Amino acid sequence: MRIGATVFAGAILAVGAAYEYMGAGMPRGTLAYPGPGFFPTMIGVFLIATALGCLLQDLFSREEPAEPVASAVPGAEPHAAEERQVMKTVQLVALLVAYGLVVKPLGFPLAICGFVAVAIRIFGYRKWLPTAALAIAIAAVSYVSFVLWLKVPLPLGLLEPLLG
Amino acid sequence: MDPLSGLIHGFSVALTPMNLLFGFLGAVIGTIVGILPGLGPLGTMALLLSLTYGFDPTAGMILFAGIYFGAMYGGSTTSILLNIPGEAASVITVMEGYQMARRGRAGAALAVAAVGSFLAGTVSLIGLSFLAPTLAAAALKFGPPEYLAVALVGLVIMSRLTGGNLMRALMMIALGLALGTVGMETVAGYMRYTFRQPELAQGIDFLPVAMGLFGISEVLVTAEEAIGKVQLQKVRFRELWPTATEWRRSFWPMVRGSFIGFFVGLVPGPSPVISTMVSYSAERKLDRRGEFGKGAIEGVAGPEAANNASVGAAYVPLMALGIPFTPAMAVVMAVLLIHGINPGPLLMTEKPDLFWGVIASMYIGNFMLLVFNLPLVGVFANIIRTPLYVLMPVVLVLCLVGVYSVNNAMLDIWLMIAFGLLGYFLRRLKYDLAPLVLALVLGPMMERSFREAMMISRGDLTVFVSRPISATILAVGALVLIAPLAVAVAKLLFGRKSGRTPAQA
Repeated sequence: MRIGATVFAGAILAVGAAYEYMGAGMPRGTLAYPGPGFFPTMIGVFLIATALGCLLQDLFSREEPAEPVASAVPGAEPHAAEERQVMKTVQLVALLVAYGLVVKPLGFPLAICGFVAVAIRIFGYRKWLPTAALAIAIAAVSYVSFVLWLKVPLPLGLLEPLLG
Repeated sequence: MDPLSGLIHGFSVALTPMNLLFGFLGAVIGTIVGILPGLGPLGTMALLLSLTYGFDPTAGMILFAGIYFGAMYGGSTTSILLNIPGEAASVITVMEGYQMARRGRAGAALAVAAVGSFLAGTVSLIGLSFLAPTLAAAALKFGPPEYLAVALVGLVIMSRLTGGNLMRALMMIALGLALGTVGMETVAGYMRYTFRQPELAQGIDFLPVAMGLFGISEVLVTAEEAIGKVQLQKVRFRELWPTATEWRRSFWPMVRGSFIGFFVGLVPGPSPVISTMVSYSAERKLDRRGEFGKGAIEGVAGPEAANNASVGAAYVPLMALGIPFTPAMAVVMAVLLIHGINPGPLLMTEKPDLFWGVIASMYIGNFMLLVFNLPLVGVFANIIRTPLYVLMPVVLVLCLVGVYSVNNAMLDIWLMIAFGLLGYFLRRLKYDLAPLVLALVLGPMMERSFREAMMISRGDLTVFVSRPISATILAVGALVLIAPLAVAVAKLLFGRKSGRTPAQA
């Protein structure tokens, strides 16, 4: 049994069941005049069937599945699962979520500055001064290119009185 | 407009200073991301997609064509010099290219790769110039059943060609189709799976999905699999000229690679990667010197030609039918959709500037790549020294700011993060992302075609097999699905007859 893959297939199966349940509540119409629920109920059945297939496959198969041809990250040396620095991924996801939470109140220039500084440290660079300089430079370049040049109304937050 | 006068018109569009600049920029960016491991052309296009919102759509298309072609050139550089493929379509080049470099023939390998890429790019662009208009003219006869058949068969073929597990590919297709049904349904305006969130009424936008799956998840995976320090081999300019024998040995592999790449490129799936594999195995079979594995120049010339040829070919179904067959083409299509342009058979007649301008700019971009790639190969190869702690935060910032800039919606940021995480798990669990993305893009069109076909035929399902074009397309799809099964059964029978078990056969 492949635990990770089994859990994932099980989760998709649950999503498929919920999707089908909600689709069944939509007007289905007839074959001649299919309603909004017609296509979703067909897809729901397809999703449940394939997720079930994957679940059984992952539950009972001992062999590792074949690697899709275009999915590997070229150049990266594939490490064994226990050697991977999984903590970095956890930190990066937490950082992305934190950015989503603070970008409105803080404003994007400050949020990007903080985001870049922390991201650089997560990727293993430890000197504070170059980190701060790089973070400010990236925030400034993105402000000039997106706000001033492309006229994207990014939230300015605390800096609104200064830049707005 | 016939192809020749179309191309002449196209060159008048492509040769404007602005479009030339975008072609050049695309070629440079493409070469750089081709060289950089951990960031491929697809991820780059996904994260630059939001920027094209501010450009003219023709300029955006030209930029992306440059990136796609450029990445194929750039990928070979690090494969040959460093034993590190810059992107997936150059993995095969490592086998012979790096061996050549170890024998001191790195310059020749790079030159053959660049010339082969140029030749193949040209062949595929000639194919694109003539095939796309012909196919578009034929597609004017397509009705809803034919469109549904093409999309369905495209997905089926893709699920067979990804090389991964079939059931998993089918589940990804189902998931993509399901995601495509989120939002307001077009006929009756019924809200589906929106959970009373008004922002979801527009459906799940392709942009956050593509940026999450190909941008964010690539960064997450690269962060874990740290790339070691690299030792660059120096190549002198005068070493870049292959010997007469090397040229002679490379010529036919380049020609064969060009045609293999073009035809493989027309098929749905990760065609640049598959085309290199097909070309490599063809050259290996034809090898009489027994040099393969020790630095055979044919093993560089063929695959490097093939991956470039497949890029031009991938544009054929998109430009002629408005149906993307690869995730990269789905991103290219998004450039048009952002500007409210629906690609399809009428694109050539309704937007000739865009249609022919983009094709002509590919010719120019291909030439530019040859001219500046060879002399600057040493400069470009140094790009690989860019530290990850600079590159990866920049990629993340481009994603975060870019995804917000199209709809100015926080929802897109959250969707991108969620799909980034999903993409990370899918990559780790060895799922292919391509079927999911293509199904998401094709899903709404498939539903519309299905409903229209049913209304036209008054609920008669035989409409799909009674019309000759859709019947033929569906028959091809059925064949692709059934053929491997038939082969397996034949092997089983054959194995029994000869007294062997299937496992031994």
